[in-house]
Amino acid sequence: MGGFVKNKLAEKRGYTYRLTRRQFLVASSAAALAACAPGAVTPSASSSVAPGKALKIGLLLPFSGVYAELGTSMRRATEFYLRQNDTKLANRPVTTVYADDANVTATGIAAAQKFIDQDQVDVLMGVVPTPLAYGIRNAVHAAKLIFIDTNAGGNALTRDTTNCTPSCKSPYIFRASFSSYQISYPIGDYLSAKGTKEFFLAYANYGFGTESAADFTTGLKKNGGTTTGNVAPPLGNPDFAPFVTQIKNQPTKNVYSFFSGADAIGFIKSWNSLGLPAAGYKMYGAGFLTEQDVLKEVKDLANGAITSLFWAVELDNAENKKFVADFQKQYPLLPDVFTVQQYDGMRALDEALKALGGDTSDKDKFVKALEDVSFKSPRGDFAFDKTTHNPIQDIYIREVKTQNGQTVNTISDKIAKVTDPGK
Amino acid sequence: MSLELVFQQALNGLSFGALLFILASGLSLVFGMMDVVNLAHGAFYMLGAYVALSVVQVTGSFWIAMLAAPLALALVGLVVEPLLLRRLRGRHLDQVLLTIGVSLVIVDLIGQLWGREVRSLSAPPGLDGSVGLIGGVYPVYRLFVIAFGVVLAAAMAVVYRRTRIGMLIRAGVEDAEMLGALGIDTNRLFASTFATGAALAGLAGVIAAPVFGVQPGMDTDPGLLYSLVVVVVGGLGTLSGAVAGSLLIGPADTFGKVLFQDVALAVIFAIVALVLLLKPTGLLGRIRIAR
Repeated sequence: MGGFVKNKLAEKRGYTYRLTRRQFLVASSAAALAACAPGAVTPSASSSVAPGKALKIGLLLPFSGVYAELGTSMRRATEFYLRQNDTKLANRPVTTVYADDANVTATGIAAAQKFIDQDQVDVLMGVVPTPLAYGIRNAVHAAKLIFIDTNAGGNALTRDTTNCTPSCKSPYIFRASFSSYQISYPIGDYLSAKGTKEFFLAYANYGFGTESAADFTTGLKKNGGTTTGNVAPPLGNPDFAPFVTQIKNQPTKNVYSFFSGADAIGFIKSWNSLGLPAAGYKMYGAGFLTEQDVLKEVKDLANGAITSLFWAVELDNAENKKFVADFQKQYPLLPDVFTVQQYDGMRALDEALKALGGDTSDKDKFVKALEDVSFKSPRGDFAFDKTTHNPIQDIYIREVKTQNGQTVNTISDKIAKVTDPGK
Repeated sequence: MSLELVFQQALNGLSFGALLFILASGLSLVFGMMDVVNLAHGAFYMLGAYVALSVVQVTGSFWIAMLAAPLALALVGLVVEPLLLRRLRGRHLDQVLLTIGVSLVIVDLIGQLWGREVRSLSAPPGLDGSVGLIGGVYPVYRLFVIAFGVVLAAAMAVVYRRTRIGMLIRAGVEDAEMLGALGIDTNRLFASTFATGAALAGLAGVIAAPVFGVQPGMDTDPGLLYSLVVVVVGGLGTLSGAVAGSLLIGPADTFGKVLFQDVALAVIFAIVALVLLLKPTGLLGRIRIAR
């Protein structure tokens, strides 16, 4: 009997891992309770029916560990959006439930399962590290829970892959941020088309860094470009001097890099103290290399770096100007790219709910409504690609400059409507 | 690798090793004296870096921070030892658990007080430039770090071997109970040793900040992780062990990471495993009699 219940549940929820004893106890007692109630319906079908009923959003974010600042920023964006809209999306008042994944995949998976089983949230948002997004994919898919990924950029989450390894797209999963293809391939294509064809690679040696480097290389090769070698420090590497020394002792002057946060600061500082700018080396990278969290620490040391991203705080469009100004009225700081991702996720959800009149009871209609969402975001035109659920968005080529004492990303060019290939 | 490149990387390895020595010396001192593996050492190191950030912000001087951070940490040590650790003397496992608790509290307090964003500290004026060396320019600050490491090790050696305090410490390492029986106030000795260990961690926080950065998570990596590796490889609780450990680990980590970058993280632990297999007490460790 016990074994039967476990297998059935595992199948229903799409577990691909063995149940722990605690999960088994929770799951089997829940199943026993459900069996006792005559004519019981599944919990997800009974909730989220009536328009006007509170909409429960579960946010899975890191509030401790190395990515704590990202989680804080995305929570702020959620509160900011709700404050602007009287804590309502369409006609539904909103309640939010936050869970801290602490950048530990197992902790995050357990928290997502709690959102499904216990909190019975209507929508799941957030998720910073890609391994966690991959880790909860099957559970979310099996529960038919709408999940709007507002950061994790691993390509596979919105793609067709063989045997769904390491992950694959789901009708219920949308992404309001980016895929690593989008911030890496277009700049490779762009630079090689402009005639800069030879690059050395430097990237953090983990899933996202290697993916970014590979996509950049594919873009480069499209126009006959090549890479001449690489260094790949481990993620969270304390000392960058050895790697920058390796770069200095090879002849290719153009260096494409993927680092973010503390790694980016360490890389840029070593790059300068070892004299690479004077020796003629030039820094390129995915946009996170020179986002505000990095620029406020390294300042003009990053000048001249060319990076690509789907947004910059300096972006010159009406929506962005209003967004930045409104944000600064509420908070004594500039919004960052994570704020934009979460804010757009909320906006997409809001637009879909408006189209549905707030009725989320039919999951297929909910999915369709999200697929049809399109609006002007601070980053430009925002719409989901209907086949992958990854955003179709403009990618900006940015150059770091110090102007009037402020070090900023100036927009030098735009690659319009970049779509992830989806496989 | 060309000879030029080997030379540059050796310099990187040496300065990294010097930082590791400064980082690990306090942990080694406390272990040798008190038989306590202070797992809050990484949190002390982190707190030192954040105190330095604030001091530099207020006073504008890196050098004042270099005095203030160790002093602040010494005070923390003077509170933690008598108030918490002393009650558990002789109960090693409980002491270790307690220091984990202390480190969790400190790290969370840092998050509350200073925020959780990534920060950094610049090298002080005068040391923030570069000098011409074989293979181009080299940052002055890293040369300063090497010099500082050498001076610190020499100063500690002199204190150990030539002063009354050093004699007490060596005697305490040998047999603290007997030292007490001879009329030495071991409570005071232990408290001041622990405070010195904490101060050294704070000092490491300042000196390492321009190289390693200041960010959440630094308490474990590089903080506790590398200081434990150095102390275990070099030999628990001896000054010469900490020197030997950092001299081996610094260059080994530097060369290992660039030569075998796909297994970069494993290189260092392969060395730890190898040393422990061949010499379980570490390179220069003494055999401790179980008590």
